[in-house]
Amino acid sequence: MARRLAGFLVLLLVVSICEAAFLFQPISDSHRSAALELFTPDHGSFKSLEETYEALRTFQILGTEKKPDLTATACRSISETVGSSSSTAKDLFYALKANSITECKIDKKASKGIISRLNAAVSGASSLLDFYYSVGGLVLIKDQSSEADVHLADAEGVFRSVKAFSQSDGRWRYSSNNPESSAFAAGIALETLAGIVSLASSEIDQSLISTLKNDILKLFDSIEKYDDGALYFDDKLVDGHEYQGPVSTTSSVLRGLTAFAAVTAENLNLPGDKMLGLAKFFLGIGVPGDAKDFFNQIDSLAYSLKVGVSTVLGSEVPSLTVKLVGAFSSGSKDASLVESEELNFDKTSGLHILNDLPKSIDVGSYTFVFEVVLHESNHEEVYFTGSQTKVPISVTGLIKIENSEIAVLDSDLGSIESQKKLDLAGKNAISLSANHLQKLRLSFQLTTPRGRSFKPHQAFLKLRHESKVEHIFVVGNSGKQFEIVLNFLGLVEKFFYLSGKYDMELTVGDAAMENSLLVAIGHIELDLPEAPEKAPRPPPQPVDPYSRYGPKAEITHIFRAPEKRPPQELSLAFLGLTILPLLGFLIGLLRLGVNLKNFPPKPVPATFAVLFHVGIGAVLLLYVFFWVKLDLFQTLKLLGFLGVFLVFVGHRILSHLAAASAKLKSA
Amino acid sequence: MGKFWVIFVASISILLPFLCNSFSPETPTNRRVLVLLDDFAVKSSHSSYFNSLKLRGFDLDFKLADDPKIALQRYGQYLYDALILFCPSVERFGGSVDVAAIINFVDSGHDLIIAADVNASDLIREVATECGVDFDEDPSAMVIDHTGYAVSETEGDHTLIASHDFIKSDVIIGSKKIEAPVLFQGIGHSLNPVNSLVLKVLSASPSAYSANPLSKLSTPPSLTGSAISLVSVVQARNNARILITGSLSMFSNRFFRSGVQKSGSSTKYEKSGNEQFLTELSKWIFHERGHLKAVNVKHHKVGETDEPALYRVNDELEYSVEIYEWSGTSWEPYVTDDVQVQFYMMSPYVLKTLSNDKKGLYSASFKVPDVYGVFQFKVEYQKLGYTSLSLSKQVSYFVSHDSGYDFSFETSLTSYLEETCNRNRSSQKSV
Repeated sequence: MARRLAGFLVLLLVVSICEAAFLFQPISDSHRSAALELFTPDHGSFKSLEETYEALRTFQILGTEKKPDLTATACRSISETVGSSSSTAKDLFYALKANSITECKIDKKASKGIISRLNAAVSGASSLLDFYYSVGGLVLIKDQSSEADVHLADAEGVFRSVKAFSQSDGRWRYSSNNPESSAFAAGIALETLAGIVSLASSEIDQSLISTLKNDILKLFDSIEKYDDGALYFDDKLVDGHEYQGPVSTTSSVLRGLTAFAAVTAENLNLPGDKMLGLAKFFLGIGVPGDAKDFFNQIDSLAYSLKVGVSTVLGSEVPSLTVKLVGAFSSGSKDASLVESEELNFDKTSGLHILNDLPKSIDVGSYTFVFEVVLHESNHEEVYFTGSQTKVPISVTGLIKIENSEIAVLDSDLGSIESQKKLDLAGKNAISLSANHLQKLRLSFQLTTPRGRSFKPHQAFLKLRHESKVEHIFVVGNSGKQFEIVLNFLGLVEKFFYLSGKYDMELTVGDAAMENSLLVAIGHIELDLPEAPEKAPRPPPQPVDPYSRYGPKAEITHIFRAPEKRPPQELSLAFLGLTILPLLGFLIGLLRLGVNLKNFPPKPVPATFAVLFHVGIGAVLLLYVFFWVKLDLFQTLKLLGFLGVFLVFVGHRILSHLAAASAKLKSA
Repeated sequence: MGKFWVIFVASISILLPFLCNSFSPETPTNRRVLVLLDDFAVKSSHSSYFNSLKLRGFDLDFKLADDPKIALQRYGQYLYDALILFCPSVERFGGSVDVAAIINFVDSGHDLIIAADVNASDLIREVATECGVDFDEDPSAMVIDHTGYAVSETEGDHTLIASHDFIKSDVIIGSKKIEAPVLFQGIGHSLNPVNSLVLKVLSASPSAYSANPLSKLSTPPSLTGSAISLVSVVQARNNARILITGSLSMFSNRFFRSGVQKSGSSTKYEKSGNEQFLTELSKWIFHERGHLKAVNVKHHKVGETDEPALYRVNDELEYSVEIYEWSGTSWEPYVTDDVQVQFYMMSPYVLKTLSNDKKGLYSASFKVPDVYGVFQFKVEYQKLGYTSLSLSKQVSYFVSHDSGYDFSFETSLTSYLEETCNRNRSSQKSV
């Protein structure tokens, strides 16, 4: 109950501070911290004076306490720019703008020089931006130093030449030779014209101003709209390098409007809902991360949308009454549940408080309609309020869960086979078993704190098989009583004929239920029939990604065990046996009476004989090498050389022997 | 003057192929990213995320999704290295971009980030389905969690979810623990169970379900419990990486800055975990983590340095490879203890874990098995979140001459014959 009340306080706080933007995050501490993050100077200073001004202005509006100390560095760069004769109108403009916040001392002589330079710039200006910077600079000087005599000599002429840039649809061009018009330029032009009016020494022709007002109204025709009612300006030139984005464009238009409204005495008569839509846009964009957008958002809110902004930024709310007009239960559009009721205003806390929650409101979600009525009628000109504000509200509470039980029933008789009580708030470890001819019944009661029936959005019973196949059933209700009966006979196919242990889980939850729960009830052992041939297969279950990878078991090669060798004696005996034929051969040679008597005695044939035998020995040695080291190719190559050599020397020695034996025969 | 133009155009046309490539180990920096939006307001409302990418050196090109001038490739060359689709409601892309073009973009190794939202268009759903992820078909369904929601002052329908069911992988979400829960508001999706490339990075709690919060439920919702994936990633076989989520707002500045308190917990965090989670995840998506390369594969006999033409039975050999991981700026040594080498012929004969010297050099030594044949050194390294390494190097078969067998006469005779046969065979082969 306490929490419910707290929820209301917060809600009404939001309602009371800003009708336009209660649905959005109003300007808050998150903006302040974002500002500090976004506007962080590089090495103590910003890249340009433009950025310096944006940072200073943002911190000023937000009233950031912990703002970085920028004033000293800003002042230095301002006086540099102002003192330098080469600085452009744009530099001067931003220097003066920044100075309007920092309030540094500017040399009088320098400011005289600026005035004349800016005046020259005005008369030499040819594009809208030239006018904007130079006129803007003059206005700033006028505001900052009361002594300086700043005025435009030919204000009306300048006004007309600026007005020449306007287009029929209310948009403006940047220069006369650029045909594309934009809303961003329109904002700039309005600001410039406002500056011209304030600088003019004589009155500007009223007809000029009234045509300008028409232009403004036309400009509002091109406003774009979001679904939630937020309005914004945007330019359609996506290619143009001047394209600024909706935030900058809208901000520029608003700045121009405020400046213009400030200098003209007349009322602009802008429709209130349009202004509300613009405020909604700026509050709806949240916290922009871009420094430029951020500045534009903050600046627009501060400048133009006085209602939304001054209150959002924490200033006093005008006295008003907040009325609760009606409350509707979401879903049913019919009669209001509460009568019109005025909220009490608490002076000390500044909150509008609804004291008692109407009796007819129970847990659930409702739409409350509030109306804001301003007390003083003259406020209506200054402030725009949303006429009726609808606020969706969830009333939450603890839901009582009672009489929860689970049972296995016999199908044909309906008799209870086993029944167990459940404690859905605590732990359960029910263990049941059933076959396909039985039923499972789960029932419980839900009641609201006011004793009414409650239907939660989520009431699921989940059965999970060991193989992770899941089945989910919605638990239906009649009044307070929730009951689900699972007839396993009709479910065997859905269960893929998977017998075994099923874990049961009950989930009850609703947005209005503070004690939403997810409880494991226990498990049921199902005994289902064998699957027939054509039964559907259970769907594949996802594989655990963690087990899919990982190192594999190492494999080491098992080397072949060395073969068992015969005893050495046996090997030697066989070696002896293999040598025996050689011995026999040698003995045979001796027996045959082999001798070297035919060895030629003369030196030349003797040399050939020796070479022949050496060659034979070399071939045998080659065989040994082939055995040990060489491969077939190397062996054959060497054998080739040796063969030719052997044929040669063999032929010589044989022919010598043949000649010798022929000589012997003839002799 | 004309000459300069010719040189200029020529040099551009020569450089162009190098300027626009997907992640390549040679020029991994200077990556261009195309960001497609429904509305330029997203550029400002989600700028923290974009800024974190810009600060890391990415060149973001923002375009409206229906801009008729967008194109992913020109003259057969891709103009971007990655694509971010922050355009949940786009019905039809502008220009030459369509689903097939996006799939081709990914198939050629480029990265993709998809953020959908409630009422996501069929087009975005189709792109997601092509990536192996199915969003809930009910167009108005949202992920609801009545026990794991984030406590909020303005929203009471429990669709703002605070989740911290992260994937357990340091490489994907960073080694620093994400303390605060991540805020999520959007639609859930399920993963195709047969697709082993897609991973659930952030899953919903067991009590979550996906349904329309405004209408009563009569049939069970199609997605429930932790089967709902809130954020998923895909690493394709070509190492392209994809991030898919059903919530565009989780990237927004508002969620990045917002404090978070999970229901039922008294701890209130100043800042949600979104920024840390999504920034770290984007580092993985853009290959700043978990991208491996292997260089200098070497093998030689123990005590030698040159790679021999062949090994002999019972040689001790040493295999080494250097593995590096891309850190976003440089290749850093990759240190782990689960890289394995296989000595492979039809099946692995030896499988050994490599030891490393903490400087990226992995090595192992083992004895050559006593089996003749043509073997391969194979490194098949797959780890959750890392790009896979697949190296193989072939080496000649192994014979024994002077080692291994002793030369008693009768065994020598058989091995002699065997060897001669082998030798003849190999001679024939080399001829």
